[in-house]
Amino acid sequence: MIDILLFAFFWLIATLLGEWGVHAMEARGLYYSAATSQALDGEKAVAFILTMLVPVIAFVVVMLIYTAIRFRSRKSLQFRDNKVFIGIWVLFSIALNILFFVHPSASALEQMFNNEEARLNRHDLIVNVTARQWEWIFSYPQYGIQTAEDSNGNSTLYLPVNQNVRFVLRSYDPYHTYDPNGAVIHDFWIPAFGLKQDIIPGETRLEYVHTNKITSYDVDPMVRVQCAEVCGPGHPFMEAPVHVVSSSDFMKWVQAQRKLEAS
Amino acid sequence: MSANAAGLSGVDTANRQRRRIAPPVIRGLLWAAIGFLVFNTLVSQVIDRQPYDPFVTRVSATVGWAAAVIGWLLGVGAWEVIVRPFFGHPVEWDIPNDWRRYFMFSTDHKVVGLQYIFTTTGSFLLAGLAAMMMRMELMNAKLWVFTNPGAYLTTVGIHGTVMMFSVGTVALVGGFANYFIPLMMGSNSSAYPRMSGLSHWLLPAGIATVFLSPLLGQWTTGWRAYAPLSGQDPSGIVFYYLGVFAMTTSSLLVAINLTATIIFNRAPGLTWNRLPMFGWGILAVSLLTIIWVPEIQMTFIISLLNLIVPFSLFEQTGSPLTYMESFWLFGHPEVYIIVVPAFALWQEIIPVMGQKTLFARQWGVLGLVFVMLFSGLVWAHHMFTNMRNSEMLPFSFFTEMISIPTGFSYLVVLGTLWGARLKFSTPTLFVLMSMFNFLIGGITGVLLADPVINLQTHDTFFVLSHFHYTVIGSMVFTWLAAAYYWLPKLSGRMYNETLGKLGAIWVFIAFNSAFGQMFFVGLRGMNRWVAVYPQYLQNMNFSISMFAFLLGLGFLFNFVHITWMWNKGKPVGQNPWNGKTLEWFGTPKPGIATFSPLPHVETGFYDYSENTPPTPSPPKRM
Repeated sequence: MIDILLFAFFWLIATLLGEWGVHAMEARGLYYSAATSQALDGEKAVAFILTMLVPVIAFVVVMLIYTAIRFRSRKSLQFRDNKVFIGIWVLFSIALNILFFVHPSASALEQMFNNEEARLNRHDLIVNVTARQWEWIFSYPQYGIQTAEDSNGNSTLYLPVNQNVRFVLRSYDPYHTYDPNGAVIHDFWIPAFGLKQDIIPGETRLEYVHTNKITSYDVDPMVRVQCAEVCGPGHPFMEAPVHVVSSSDFMKWVQAQRKLEAS
Repeated sequence: MSANAAGLSGVDTANRQRRRIAPPVIRGLLWAAIGFLVFNTLVSQVIDRQPYDPFVTRVSATVGWAAAVIGWLLGVGAWEVIVRPFFGHPVEWDIPNDWRRYFMFSTDHKVVGLQYIFTTTGSFLLAGLAAMMMRMELMNAKLWVFTNPGAYLTTVGIHGTVMMFSVGTVALVGGFANYFIPLMMGSNSSAYPRMSGLSHWLLPAGIATVFLSPLLGQWTTGWRAYAPLSGQDPSGIVFYYLGVFAMTTSSLLVAINLTATIIFNRAPGLTWNRLPMFGWGILAVSLLTIIWVPEIQMTFIISLLNLIVPFSLFEQTGSPLTYMESFWLFGHPEVYIIVVPAFALWQEIIPVMGQKTLFARQWGVLGLVFVMLFSGLVWAHHMFTNMRNSEMLPFSFFTEMISIPTGFSYLVVLGTLWGARLKFSTPTLFVLMSMFNFLIGGITGVLLADPVINLQTHDTFFVLSHFHYTVIGSMVFTWLAAAYYWLPKLSGRMYNETLGKLGAIWVFIAFNSAFGQMFFVGLRGMNRWVAVYPQYLQNMNFSISMFAFLLGLGFLFNFVHITWMWNKGKPVGQNPWNGKTLEWFGTPKPGIATFSPLPHVETGFYDYSENTPPTPSPPKRM
């Protein structure tokens, strides 16, 4: 009996410490940097799962340490069954997993699917993203911008803040269209945006985000487009800076881009 | 004696001793070289001669390789043991009773097990060296060890492939199970001893093929070999497909052999209800292998044909997703092929070390079997970033649910630990550490099973760390636990307890420091397969590399310690841990029949209450 009480005490302490740790991490930002509502949803899901799992982790870890220290070279206690303990364990693990499936898995996924509903996305900013080995090409069909580039000719992505953005993702090489089998799988990832999408040759895939914070690659290196699926030796170099700016700055940038393309 | 058990008795020894052949491994290498040269030349210069083609083409390398592997297998002994007897000749194969038996075809399951253990350890060290090179490159955000990112990616691919197919899949199954499953079943031989002898020699052929792949050119895909990238690289990927074919065939033969051994070679009285936990684990894992390995072999054969014929099955005009799906259909069960024997070993070692009756044994068996059944239902969680939305929920569901049967292994071990008389030895320590590491791997697995979180962490160092926690953290730690636990049986000698504990603590601290940080570097935006990365990640990567080197040295320390004690350790008796499974009651020496007469099992192996009779009761004559 004393063992059970002692164990419960240590378990409680470890759980409290663990919860404190998780919440400290949550306060600092589990994703380090979150610039879209999708990233915030992801962070919330991580925080929820970890908060619920801390007692479970604490139970196993304290049990491993406690038994290793306490149950040494005494007379052993022989038993092969404990219906109550097994019953609680089995039912609890089933309940916990069903909980996680309902929330956050299914609930957050529903949120994500809703973001992709056509009826909710009538005023999206559309960005056509073309991935080739090894370059990102961004074009803005609504603004007549063919290839968004900075003055050095490097691809760059500008987005207005508080705006739904629809990325239209394709993988092919617009400069070598004679080779239909030249494309490989890429992955469109902006670390601060909290999600990524593979780009499969021959398929057009969509990704929706809602920007919620003015930020840029200049202040936060996580605000960059990074290819996340290995695509050959040039894979690490396949990145592009991202700027999330106010809508007036965005319009200024659009004007500048048009002038740049006209010249 | 073991040769007799396997039906390989020679007729007249005197006659056979006059026959002299080159050392089998040398002869195998020679025959392999001849096979490659002849068939490569035939294909590239005669049958399929194209203007401007080099001497070695993709097609000729494939055909030449097949001839080389056949030459190698015949040379190490398949010619005398399998081919000639098939045509009615007597078996003329002398197995000297010394170190040389490990360098030739053998039908003794203990010799085969040790061959697997040596080969696996060697490939672990070589592929580990590749990992050290990768970590050295990643100490700096710029290229500085490798001259180009393709060379780095080729190293990544070799590391992953060899660790997967020659260490993860093989170490506990081909190695320890080949040695100990027949012993635990109370049998003097595995069910198909000749096939077993053949299976080991495919492994070094496969390892060598993968390590030699840079001879044909770089391949930048990593061990997953995703099309269409695999078709764009230079031809190194050809040797990836071929090497993996040899290694997986080796695993497949082991699985067939061990399944048959467990089903048919059990000693009298060893009923299914009394089957040891390791037996259940190996049975589950062997069935998984038999189901899924042929699937990946077909996928790779089709990919190879896609490359050398060539077709365009998996390119833009074909279906790139089909390859990924075929790959992960095997790729996830593979994870459980690696980790299920580890679960089983926890449940094997802890009752012995605790001298405590195994808790809730039926739940442990259920757990192993259900993990095996579920493992084919979760694979598409590797593809949340590229599948249809509607497919995410069912795979997310099953992935979360698989943690329930996995948890049963913890239920059993924790219940057994409670109130035990625990001997705090090195194997105990390694098992407890392994359980901690798998807990971290499992918790991060629950996070990854959630699609929204997965879309952020997929293809980052978060995932990398997660699966290294499950593979190194649990399987390799359990491998070391098993090595220390069974060392007295393998060598008749005991390791040094202080050095053993030092080794355990060393690798535990280094492992958790290195891979624990990788979760965070992944969340901060470190993606996989990059030799060059943004500057802001350099400090963390430098620190990870330091602990990774420490981990490499820690593994080396454990191997040196085990090898040293294998030869120089303090001799111990038959059963130093007071275990009850049958392997503790047989003769430990290779080359000698273990049980004579066969034991008769009268109770289960995990009952430590005081009034139980010792298992097995003194062997009775049948």
